[in-house]
Amino acid sequence: MGEYLLELQDLKTYFKVKAGKVRAVDGVSFAIKPGEKLGVVGESGCGKSVTALSIMRLLPHPPAENAGGSVLFEDQDLLDLPESAMRKIRGGKIGMIFQDPMTCLNPTMTVGKQIGEALGIHLNLSKDEGLKRAAALLEQVGIPAAAERINSYPHQFSGGMRQRVMIAIALACNPKLLIADEPTTALDVTVQAQILELINGVCSDFGTAVMLITHDLGVVAGMTDRVVVMYAGKVVETAPTDELFVNPSHPYTLGLLASVPRLDEERHSQLKTIEGAPPDLLKPPPGCPFMPRCAFAHPICRTMPPLDPVAGNAAHFKACWVDVNDPNEQAYAERRRQARIDKMLAATNGKAATTLTAAEEK
Amino acid sequence: MDISDRLKITAVEDIEPVLELTPELVQKRRSQGRIIFDRFIRNRAAIVGAIALILLCLLCFLGPLVWRADPNVINVTTVSSSFSPPSLQHPFGTDDVGRDEFARVMAGGRVSLLIGLTSMLMAIIFGIGIGAFAGYYGGIVDNLLMRFTDVVLAVPLYLLLFVLSASFTDHTPKSVIILIAVLTWTYAARLVRGEFLALKEREFVLSARTIGARNLRMMFRHILPNAAGPIIVNATLLIGGNIILESVMSYFGFGIQPPDASWGSLISDGQGFFDVGPWLVLAPGLLIFLTVLSFNLVGDGLRDALDPYMTER
Repeated sequence: MGEYLLELQDLKTYFKVKAGKVRAVDGVSFAIKPGEKLGVVGESGCGKSVTALSIMRLLPHPPAENAGGSVLFEDQDLLDLPESAMRKIRGGKIGMIFQDPMTCLNPTMTVGKQIGEALGIHLNLSKDEGLKRAAALLEQVGIPAAAERINSYPHQFSGGMRQRVMIAIALACNPKLLIADEPTTALDVTVQAQILELINGVCSDFGTAVMLITHDLGVVAGMTDRVVVMYAGKVVETAPTDELFVNPSHPYTLGLLASVPRLDEERHSQLKTIEGAPPDLLKPPPGCPFMPRCAFAHPICRTMPPLDPVAGNAAHFKACWVDVNDPNEQAYAERRRQARIDKMLAATNGKAATTLTAAEEK
Repeated sequence: MDISDRLKITAVEDIEPVLELTPELVQKRRSQGRIIFDRFIRNRAAIVGAIALILLCLLCFLGPLVWRADPNVINVTTVSSSFSPPSLQHPFGTDDVGRDEFARVMAGGRVSLLIGLTSMLMAIIFGIGIGAFAGYYGGIVDNLLMRFTDVVLAVPLYLLLFVLSASFTDHTPKSVIILIAVLTWTYAARLVRGEFLALKEREFVLSARTIGARNLRMMFRHILPNAAGPIIVNATLLIGGNIILESVMSYFGFGIQPPDASWGSLISDGQGFFDVGPWLVLAPGLLIFLTVLSFNLVGDGLRDALDPYMTER
């Protein structure tokens, strides 16, 4: 086996719709080592979830189609596997948990049966053995009186407990990789921390690698070893977590970090945002997808930059032509930002002026 | 006693809990079945229907053990033995050839209830199969199965029933059951397909796929139980409908043949003598009415009890 547990190479997933092809995942490459915790961040609609579902081959075909690339899991391309072999991977080798635990559990089955089901499918355990293991797993994910609770139905559990059950199901067969697709978005803040702690702890115990999809940079900082930043279906930067927070090298990452609200911020000050909206993936702009929103943009950005190592850290890659730490570039970006603001102000003032004159004429 | 004395903790009290958490004190959790049962119990009409049904079944299936008159024995020894009005000796009177109508109604009821129940079971199972595959797989499978269903639905039901029973059945209860089932699975199939179409998009189905479940497991272990409510309601209502269908068939002479009886054939036999023995029509007619009404009441009660969005009152 190679160095990596999971390796995506130039993965492309398109959705065929009437208007054309939506390039939801457009040439994504990254890798996860055994036991490693990888965070995938990016704003809504940038292809994070589609990447995860493509790995598991859970997208409906059509409209989704695999347009190239490969998903190497233990040196085996998952995209080439027959459906029956893929079923063995799902749940057996790769577990997955979703955003909303309220809807992900079958309301007509007891939680014990639902945990035992995975064991029955992959380890051929009998119902009784399955239930016994289910109780042990439930105990492990921190549900008290597990032996009694396995006979409860999901509606008798709270949101946090249901997510614990989901984790127990995903980890039941001791998979090599856990894909957690925004596992805490639907939960209370206090419960979020517990669930993350649990995922972290249980996966460390089992030696399970984690692919954590989130748009919460705080979560990433707290529990991942490495981060992949995605934008418009592409990887724009990847680095060890500490390195990324200390030395962000892509304008988009800079923007993401700047828009995290801070406790020491002045009260009532406006939250910082990244100007504009992500591009329409039906017809992405040529070259770097972030160019239209980027203050650092140069004419060269009309061609897509390769994902190249950043000087100073061999594990840090970025897809950007510009060195954002260069003071000249920073001054250039500042000038462009100011120019944009001036232009906007002029536009609004001009509009106000014309309405004024129109009113006067009346 | 001084308060400080009362608060003084002895070594023994320190260990012994003040109040033991006995099973009676532990919070009770009602099971899903219990919740549904409680909700059903609270529906008066449904309870009346259920009790009526139990009594009717007892009457038809256990009644003959008590009321030992033979439904097929002809008694024309005296003039008064035919068309004798209801009396203690013959609670529902006698018919034109002096047979005990009470015994005949019980025998007919057995046939009618049996046909209603078993044809419903067959129709529902067939309907679930067709509907599940159509709804789950969609696309061309759905189109083929549903167009087939439409074809069956498009032919006038009674016409088909009469033509087929005249040419293909031997008028035994078994053949009538199969015939009715073959013609009434369509609504169940449409219902199940609709449920599957909606339920297969739910997230718990996706999460079942992430643990490597096969299609059949997903269809029958995960989706079908979630569609159980509407299916059960439909099944209950279908029994009533099928009893009527059987009665109509027998009334027109296509179903059960003499000397065997069903409620429909009893009405058919008795209608010629409505002026001399109205009980011959009224007894089986009222029983059909009662049975179908009861099944419908129970069905309505189940619909309310199984609806997860019904709020507790």
